[in-house]
Parts: sequence; structure tokens; C-alpha cells
Amino acid sequence: MQVFKAMMKIMRKRLPSAMIYIIVFIVISILVTNASTKDNKFEVTKLDICVFDEDDTPESRALTEFIGKTNDIDEIENDRDAIIDALYYKRVNYALIINKGYAEKLAAGDTADLFGSYHIDENYSVVYIGQFLDEYTTSVKAYLAMGKTVDEAISCTEEALSQHTDVDMLRVDKGGNSHYSVDFAGYFQYMPYILIAAVFTVICQVLVTMNNKDIRYRTNCSCMNSSKYTFQLIFGSGLFVISVWLLLIIIGAVLNKEMYTGRAWYAVFNSFIFSLVVTAMAVFVASFEPKENVLNIITQVLSIGMSFLCGIFIPMEVLSDKVLSVARFLPAYWYVKANNMIADIEPFSRSDVLLCCLVEAGFALMFIILTLLVRKVKYSGAAIATSAKKAAVSH
Amino acid sequence: MFMHILKYELKGGLRSKDLIIWLILFPIILGTVFKVGFGSIYEKTEKFNSIPVAVVEESENKAFRQVIENIESADEPFITASFTDKAKAEKLLDDGEVEGIIFSGEKLRLTVKEKGLRETMLKSFVEQYSVREKIAMDAFETAPEKAQQVIETLTAETVSSCREIPVTQGNPDVYAQYFYNLIAMVAIFGSITGMTVTSRRQADLSALGARSCCSPVPKSISVLASLASSFILQTICMTVCVTFLAFVLKVDFGDRLWLVYPTAIFGGILGVSFGFLVGSFARVSEKVKTAILMTTSMLLCFFSGLMMGNMKAIVAEKAPWFNNINPVAVISDCFYCLNIYEDYDRYFTKLITMAVTIVIFITLGIIASRRKKYASI
Repeated sequence: MQVFKAMMKIMRKRLPSAMIYIIVFIVISILVTNASTKDNKFEVTKLDICVFDEDDTPESRALTEFIGKTNDIDEIENDRDAIIDALYYKRVNYALIINKGYAEKLAAGDTADLFGSYHIDENYSVVYIGQFLDEYTTSVKAYLAMGKTVDEAISCTEEALSQHTDVDMLRVDKGGNSHYSVDFAGYFQYMPYILIAAVFTVICQVLVTMNNKDIRYRTNCSCMNSSKYTFQLIFGSGLFVISVWLLLIIIGAVLNKEMYTGRAWYAVFNSFIFSLVVTAMAVFVASFEPKENVLNIITQVLSIGMSFLCGIFIPMEVLSDKVLSVARFLPAYWYVKANNMIADIEPFSRSDVLLCCLVEAGFALMFIILTLLVRKVKYSGAAIATSAKKAAVSH
Repeated sequence: MFMHILKYELKGGLRSKDLIIWLILFPIILGTVFKVGFGSIYEKTEKFNSIPVAVVEESENKAFRQVIENIESADEPFITASFTDKAKAEKLLDDGEVEGIIFSGEKLRLTVKEKGLRETMLKSFVEQYSVREKIAMDAFETAPEKAQQVIETLTAETVSSCREIPVTQGNPDVYAQYFYNLIAMVAIFGSITGMTVTSRRQADLSALGARSCCSPVPKSISVLASLASSFILQTICMTVCVTFLAFVLKVDFGDRLWLVYPTAIFGGILGVSFGFLVGSFARVSEKVKTAILMTTSMLLCFFSGLMMGNMKAIVAEKAPWFNNINPVAVISDCFYCLNIYEDYDRYFTKLITMAVTIVIFITLGIIASRRKKYASI
């Protein structure tokens, strides 16, 4: 176990910089979990609307109140930049201005130009609220035409518009007592990113040190065979990854304020398998001996790239089928798919979740085999002899 | 002497190809991933398109069919309907071909699969039908003599009651901000080159540092020369990055692309100075310095919304001052301003913030690195 011991020694030396990475990523994952409790659905049925009431009459206030019944009314500073920011970042979906003279025009039955709206693009909310406003004013106008007073017309309109049609869902939510809330699924969803980013930077650095030319040559002339060497590396890295994983799981339980129960254990199992994949991937990347600065950038490309393609940073539902069919060739896709099933975002089935885990394990195996191959080719006696010869010639 | 050092620093920087290549490859790979990943999300989910819906006629309802046909004949129809039978409609809904099924009979019924805005719109469309029915009934009950007039009011083509006031000419795609953040990230990764400037000047960290410490050149000149070379290298990276995003991936930066270049380059200089500052202050090994730089960069990127699109809005709500001092957020905000705002007020504020930060970083860095003596190594 000399290799393993040497690895542990290097790791101990690298602990300070490793801890910086791990702490920062844990902070990120805590922030993500807290932030994602606010909107875990991509589209919400209740729109956020801000109303600038320039008319300020009982009629306009009645309209604002009525809009507020089915939507959320947000207060926003009446400043062009603030409104643009809010609309762009979707903090409000619609910025409505009730023009001056609304009440008078409405009473006269004139429905043109009653409102204004700050407009960034033609999105669904704009169309929806536009239709709603038209419907509201037309109805008021119709009641006025029946000879009702404005007040009566408004209350009749509100009554008419408040009728509800029951909507059936094609598939009823199975929900049940799954012990795995959507917030919590968010924590697990971001875990692959944390694992890849934190683990890669630490493990690869250690492995690159182990690959240092002088140390390599010394190991190569010993009697240890290369696959044994590689397996000890994998074992050492695995031990480190699993301790990071354990830490994340414990923090998860603390954040969730209860011990894992029921279906949450599937998520724990799923993340465990994924951490094995990350180990194998890290060992694989390290066998190409990247330089340290480059390694950091490669890590970013891998972690962020995979997170975007596989639905970690943006929900899988909104990614196109083409992207998803490419993502199938990446391990994080299967992790997220399993996590979605456990969280009931997709229909849950035990065998499918286990199948996803199996695919992930397959990826881990593939990376281990590839690593063995790369190392065999790179560090074989013949390869070293050629590189030594090249060096001699160039001198 | 300045030019001499600059020349050799440049040569050295270009020869250690790895870093430059990766700094250039990095936005190319991630940019492509972004483009592939959500190139069409905006068109698909945010921008209004006709909502596909299946209509199942349980019994004859000519009036409703008439309504649907009227709607479909419009230029930009609100819904596109396909008339079919129940089994087929359910299959369409399950496959996601349509957003909902309207069963038309005595009463309209709606079946959907998801809960979202489009489903809500369908619901309100179905309700609209019953609202009009109720109004007509009310009319017949209260004032039958005026009923005809009421129905005319309801069916008359009306002008929209709401006038839209466009607030921007820019690209409203909220996903474009991921590209802004990507450029900002490349800029802040310039901190790695900035840091090497310092470690090449610190005798305890590199042989080159030991050599340059015993040379008679004033430290300020040698530091400024190698900073200048890092700026030049970073400028190359930023230019390639923006060119690739704008012309190969065709990311829409609004109509002021010529200003995007200097902004990105300025951001790159900010990144390099950031690395220089951290490198000069922290008297630790290069590995720990890299760790500090990488993690702070990642955190700053995170708060600017690289990993979660709505993060910047959340920060703006909870701690607005942080967006003004977070260099990544400032850089990406510049691109946002160029795209969305018509005036330059806020853009210039951000640029001045960047300039001030650069000056502070470099001054502090030089103060920290001057007069450092290495008695023995």
C-alpha cells in the first residue's frame, strides 16, 4: 500500500487549499438550496404584476384589487431603469399603467387606450394580461349598455369573471408521502456540480503531483505493476471523494432538518454512485497530466458544461430533445433523471431509478478501464524509452 | 528597460501555450454548450406562440366551432386547434403535442397535463366563453330590450384597451445573460495570469523571481512591464472570446457590438489586476494562491448568476450594494446595459466603477509588493 500511503501524505499537505475549495462549494450549495425554495417551478400560474395607478379613482382601485385576486401585486419604484430590470429578470411579469381618465372613459363606454404597459417582449404574460384587460373592459361596457350604473357594472363584471371552470389533470399527482420535497431535490440536483468542481481540483492536483517525472521514474523501476498502482490511486481518491460525499450528505440532513426517510434514501444512494463516477473521471483526467492552471480551467469546463447540458443549472423540462439526446452520453444526465423521478418531477418507478444508477456505475467502470489503458500506454517501458530518446536528441 | 522586460514577458507568455490556449478554448467550449443548451429555450418557453390545443366535440356545438375558426383566422392566432376524438387527443396531450384538450358539449371542459401559464391561459379562454354566456343571460333577464345591443358590444371588434410602451430595442432574451456572465468569467480568469506576474517577481516562489529580484531594475518598472504583457495577452483572449460568441455563435448583444469589445477588454484588465492584488498580498505558496483565486472567482460568478440565472435579481433585492462591488457582476452588467438601456448613464457608471477598481487593485498590489527583500531563501 505504499502508493496509497504516499497519496495520503500528499493529500494531508494539500489540505489547506482543498479546504478552501470544499468550504466555498458547500457555501454555494447552501445558498442554492435557500434560493431555490422561492421558485422551483419554471412557470407559475400566479403572475407578478406591478400597477402604476395614475387615475387613482374608486374604479381604478377596484380593478387593481380584482387583478390582485388572481395574481400577486408587486410594488416597484416608478423609475424606468428599475422597471426594465424587474421585467428583464422576471421579477415582475407585467408592468401596468392605468392611464389618467380611466374612470371617465370607462363610464363613457370608450375602451380604447385605457391602459399602458411597459413592454420588453411579446411573451405569454403580456398576451394573457392583455386579453384579461380587454375582457374586463368589454364586460363593463356590456353591463353599462344594459343600463346599469358604473358601480353595478363593475361588480357584475367581477362576478361574471370570477366563474371557474374545473380543469382536469391528465395524470393525477401521485405525490403521496414521498419524504422528498422539491426543495430538497434542489440540493441533490446541484450536488453533481459541487462534487465535480470540488473533487476534481483536489484529487487531480494530488494525482498530478504523483505523476511528477522523478517520482514516476522511481515508481516505474520498482516491481509494482501498473494496474495495481492505478487501483491504489483509485482507492485513495475514492476514499477522499466518499468523505466529501459524506460531508455533503450530513449537511443535507442538517439543512433539511430531519434524517433521511423513505424515498430520500434513493437520492442518497444515487449521489453515492455518482461520487464513484466522479472519482473515476478525476483519475482519468489526471492521467493526461495537465498543468495546474490548465487543470482549473478544464475543471470549470467539465463541471459547468455538464451542469448546463444535463439539466443541473436549468431544469431538464426546458432543454430541447436534441440536447437531451446528446446529454445521454454524460453521466450527470442519468443522475438528474433519477433525481427527477425521486422528486416526482417525472413519474417514479423504482426499477427505472435503479437502472439510472446502473448506467452511472457503467460510466464509472468505463472511466476506470480507460484510465488503465491510458496509463498502460503512457507509462509502458517502450513509451518512456521513446520520450527519453527524444529528450536526449533535443539536447 | 520597460520595453525589454515587456518583450520577454510577452514571449514567455506566448510560449507557455497551455494557459492561453485554455483561456481561449474555455469560452469557446462553454459558449457552444450554452448555445446548444438554451439557444431555443427563449423562443420556446418565453416568447408568445400560438398555443396548440385539441378539441373533442362531445356533442354538436356550432357556436364554439365558429369561435375557434374565427380565432384561427387571425394573423397571430391565440390558439391553434385540431379537432379529433378523445383517445387521440389524450395521446397528443401525453406526448406534449398539445397543451390541453377542450371538450365541447353542453358545457366546456378542459383537461391539461401540467400546471403553467399556458394552461392558465387556456383555462381563462374557456372561462371567457362562459363569461360571455352569462353576460348575455344577464342582459336577457334585466333588460331584454337592450339585449341585442349588449351582444353587439360583446362581439364587436374592439381596439385593444392597452397600449404597449416599448422600453428597449435590445435583445430581451433573459438567457443572453449567461453569455454575459461567461465573458465576465473569462475576464476574471485573467486573474491567473495576473497572479503569475507576482510569483515571477517573488524570489521565494520561482527561480525567475530570484533572478529578477537581484537585478538592478526598479521593481515598479519590472512589475508594470509584466502587468502590461498580461494585459496584452488577456486582451487577445477577450477579443477572441467576444468574436467567437458574436460571429460564430451569433449571440445577440444588441446593436452596440463595437462597445462590447472595449468593455470585455476592460473587464479582462480588471481580472488581471485582481489576480495581481491577491498574488501580491497573500504570502503563501502558488497552489494556495490559485485556490483562493479560483474559489473567489467562482463565488463571484455564482453571485452574478452564472449558475443560477435569477441570482443577480435576488442579490439586487437583498443586498443591492454587493452587485456594485462584485467585479463579475459589474462586467456582466455592462453588457446588459449596452443591450437593454438606450442611454449610457448606467453603462458609464459601471465603466467608472471598473476603472476605479483597477486603479485601486494595481496600486494596492504595487504597495504590497514593493520593498520586499529576501535575505535568504
